[in-house]
Amino acid sequence: MSEFTTEWFKVDPDGKGVLKIDGDIDMAAGPVLRKAMLEQEEQGDVVLDLSGVSFIDSSGLRTLLDAARRADERGNTLTLRQAGPEVRRLLEITGTTSKFTMEQPRD
Amino acid sequence: MTDVQTPAMRLAGPVEVRVPADPAMSRVLRLAASGLASLFGFDVEQIEDLKIAVSEVLIALVEHGYGDFVDISFFVESGVFVVSGVTEVDQFDVDHPDLRLCRTVLAGVCADHDIKLVGDTARITATIRQNGR
Repeated sequence: MSEFTTEWFKVDPDGKGVLKIDGDIDMAAGPVLRKAMLEQEEQGDVVLDLSGVSFIDSSGLRTLLDAARRADERGNTLTLRQAGPEVRRLLEITGTTSKFTMEQPRD
Repeated sequence: MTDVQTPAMRLAGPVEVRVPADPAMSRVLRLAASGLASLFGFDVEQIEDLKIAVSEVLIALVEHGYGDFVDISFFVESGVFVVSGVTEVDQFDVDHPDLRLCRTVLAGVCADHDIKLVGDTARITATIRQNGR
């Protein structure tokens, strides 16, 4: 259970903005994540690098779903990169996997 | 012959804690529940499910309750870990979309769960079984 942090990388090689997330995406982290995303998501497609995330709950999932909805409304994509088994399991339980583009899932 | 209890038997609970109705408490309670479950021999996957269950209980009570505090109880017996939570409420819509998502997650990770309004309190229980669902 590490401290929750976010860091934007302006573009990855595909030209997408990448938000690196470390820590648990829970009720306390949701507002921090939302604020970080709102800062730059209007620039275009967004990738969330979840390689540092090992816990997510329904509150965190709502934050991701809201971001996916906003991206869809803008005609952009929201990609979940390096989602671990904990994140993928919650998406499966809630039937929300199809709301996101998944990339490089990790074990 | 003296009736000797193992530490785990003595610590069967309930372990009760009153915490501020604050999102930051989710992490604290997950850590406490994980430690207790580990003491009782729950495996990593069961503990992951328990962490989600604890978080969902607190989400429901903090986001939908109106009390300053949330009362949480952990009880372990015969391979069953029960998380209970209570808080004061003014209005409590059990069909609120956010709460429905919460229930979906609880249904996915718990053997049993229950969210109900009792007088002016919301009461939630979530049960994780050591030997599968």
